Amino acid sequence: MLLAKTLRSSTFKLALIWIGIFGALVLALLGYVYWSTAAYVREKADRAIAAEETILRNVYDSAGRDGLIAAIKDRVAPGRFESGVYLLADPSFVPVAGNLKAWPAALKESGGWYDVGAREWKPDAADHSVLRATFDMLPDGYHLLVGKNAGDLDAFTRKIEVALLLGVSLIFILAGVASVSVTRRTVGRIEAINATSRSIMQSGLGKRIPLRGTRDEWDQLAENLNAMLDRVEALMAEVKQVSDNVAHDLRTPLTRMRGRLEKAYNRPHNSDYDHALIGDTMADLDAVLRMFSSLTRISQIETGDRTSAFRTVNLAEIASEVVELFDAAAEDKRVHLDAVVDRRVLVTGDRDLLFDAVANLVDNAIKYGGEAGRVTVEVARNDDGAVIAVADDGPGIPDDECQHVFKRFYRLERSRHTPGNGLGLSLVAAVARLHGARIEMVDNRPGLKCRLRFPSPAMS
Amino acid sequence: MGEGRRRLLVIEDDPETAEQLVDFLSTSGYQVDLAADGNEGLSRGRSADYAVMTIDRMLPDIDGLAVIRRFREDGIVTPALIISALGEIDDRVRGLRAGGDDYLVKPFAFAELLARVEALARRSATVVKETVLRVGDLELDLVARTATRGGRKIELLPREFQVLEYLVRNDGRVVPRAMLLQHVWDLHFDPTTNIIDVYVGRVRRKVDSQQAYPLIHTIRGVGFCVRAPS
Repeated sequence: MLLAKTLRSSTFKLALIWIGIFGALVLALLGYVYWSTAAYVREKADRAIAAEETILRNVYDSAGRDGLIAAIKDRVAPGRFESGVYLLADPSFVPVAGNLKAWPAALKESGGWYDVGAREWKPDAADHSVLRATFDMLPDGYHLLVGKNAGDLDAFTRKIEVALLLGVSLIFILAGVASVSVTRRTVGRIEAINATSRSIMQSGLGKRIPLRGTRDEWDQLAENLNAMLDRVEALMAEVKQVSDNVAHDLRTPLTRMRGRLEKAYNRPHNSDYDHALIGDTMADLDAVLRMFSSLTRISQIETGDRTSAFRTVNLAEIASEVVELFDAAAEDKRVHLDAVVDRRVLVTGDRDLLFDAVANLVDNAIKYGGEAGRVTVEVARNDDGAVIAVADDGPGIPDDECQHVFKRFYRLERSRHTPGNGLGLSLVAAVARLHGARIEMVDNRPGLKCRLRFPSPAMS
Repeated sequence: MGEGRRRLLVIEDDPETAEQLVDFLSTSGYQVDLAADGNEGLSRGRSADYAVMTIDRMLPDIDGLAVIRRFREDGIVTPALIISALGEIDDRVRGLRAGGDDYLVKPFAFAELLARVEALARRSATVVKETVLRVGDLELDLVARTATRGGRKIELLPREFQVLEYLVRNDGRVVPRAMLLQHVWDLHFDPTTNIIDVYVGRVRRKVDSQQAYPLIHTIRGVGFCVRAPS
C-alpha cells in the first residue's frame, strides 16, 4: 500500500528525474576523467618506447649491428625490463635478435605506431596482452622493432573502468534509497493530512492534523491547516448561533401574532378591534421581514463581489447628509448632533452601503449615547487614507464586549429592551470589510468612538 | 389617467400571488392581464399595448430578466417593474441593467406596488411644468422654494422642502419610504433604521401643527401620503 503510494508519488517521480540528470552528469564527468587518464598513460608509454628506440639507434650508430645485437640481448636477458619487447630482423624480416619469435605481419611501414594483437606476437600465451610497438629501418636494411607489452596498460585502464562503474552504481543505489526514503516520509506526512481530512468529512470538524514538533515546513503546513479548521469551526459555530438567534427572534413575534389572531378568531368580530389587531400584526410582520432582509443584505455584502459597482465617493458629503437626515431624530432625544468634516475626503466605494453604514453608526450613537448627549461625526483625510469616526458621550461599551458587538444579533444586556435587532453593527462590519476599511471601537472618555479607517485610494 | 382604464400585464407564476395582484390592481382601476410564465408573458406583451408590466424575477420557463431583455430587443419599451424574492443588492443593479425600470423585493405591501406601478405609468404621460403646487391650503412655490399654509410661511430646510415637494407631487397617492429615499436622497436601499419616519415626522410637525386638518399621513408599514380632506 505504502510502496505503491511511494512509487506513484510525485516526489518520487521528481527524485527519479533528478537522479537521471545527476547520474548523467556524473557519468560524463567520470567518462572524461577515464578518457583523459587513459590517453595520458598511453602517451607516456609511447614516449618511453620512442626513447628506448632512440637509445638503440645511437648504439647502432656508434657500435654497429653487433653492438646493437649485444644491447638487445642485454635488454632481453631475464630479470631486466620485463615488459620491453625488442626484435632485430634482417631485410627479409627474419629475426636476428630479441625476445619475439617472429616478425609480426602487421608491421610493414616503418615509423608508425602499431597495436599488435596477442595471437600474432604471443600465440602460446594465455593472456590477451596487446603489443604496442614501432619499428625502424636501419641503414643496412635490417629492421629494428621496439615495443612494450601493453597488457599492464590495459589492466590499468580496466581498473579505472571498474572504479567508475562501482562509483556510478553506488551513486545510483544511494540516490535511489535516499529518494525512496524521502518520498516515504513525504507520503507519510501527506497521508496523515489525508487521513485527518477524511475523518473530518466523516465525523465533523473536531479532528486536527497531528504535529511532530519538528517546526519544519510540514509542521507549518499542518499548523496552518489546523488554524484554518479552527476558523471554519468558529464560523460554523457562529452560523449556528445566528440560526439559533434567527429562530428566537422569529418565534417571538410569530408567537405574538399567532396568539393575537387566535384570540380574534375566537371572539365576536368588532371592526375597531380587528383593525387595530391587523395593524399590529402587520407591523410585527414588517419587523420580521426587515430583520430577514437585513440578514440577506449582510450576507450578500459579505459573499458577493460588489466592488464592480464602486466609484469615487466623497465621505464628507455622505457624513453631512447622514447628519442632516438624523437631525430630526437627534432633536427628538435632545441630542446635540454635529459634523466636523474636511471638505473633500474621497474614497473608492459604494455610496448606498457607506451611507447605510454611517447611518447605522449615527443611529446607534443617538440611541445608546443617552438623552441630551452629544454625538459628533468626524471625517478627515490623513497620510494613510480616510477616517470617519462617530463619537458619543454615553456609557460606552465594556472592553471585553468590543469584539462581540459586530456579531450578528449580538446585543448588550442593557440594550435588550430598546428597539433594534442586533444587526446594525454586523452590517457596518460587513461594509467596512468590503471596502478594506479597519473598524475600531475606542473609549471616548466618556462614551464610545467608532472609527472606520479607509486605505488611501492609491493603495486600494 | 384621463383615458379610462389602463392595461397592465402581470407575469407571475405563483397562482395565489397572481390572484392577489390581479385583484388588487383591478380594484385600483387597472385592467389586468395575467401571464403564468415567461413565454405566455412574451406573447401577450407583444400582442397588446400595456401601460406597465410587472415581471417576476424567477419564472418556471424563462428567467424574468431574459423576458425583459427580449422585449427590449423587440423594441417594446413598456415600463417594467421587476418583482423578486432574491436579495435586493446585486439583483437591483442586474435587473435595471437588463432593461427593467424599477425593482421591488418580495414580500411587499400592495400599496407600495401600486405606488411604483403608478409612478411607471405616469412616466409615459406628459409632464406639465408647474411652478406652484397646491394641496388643500398648502402651497409650494417651486421657483422660490418656499411653502405656505393658509398664507402663513412654513420654515423648511432645503431637504425638507424636497421631501414635501415629492409628497405633494404624488398628492393622493402613497409614497413608500424607499421611493422617497430614492428620489430625495438618491439612495437605493431600504433603511434598517426608522430614520425616514423621524425625518418626515419633523416635516409633518412643521406643516401640520396648529392647522385645521392634517395633510401628511403615515401609511403603516409602507410610507406616507399627502391628502387633503375631500
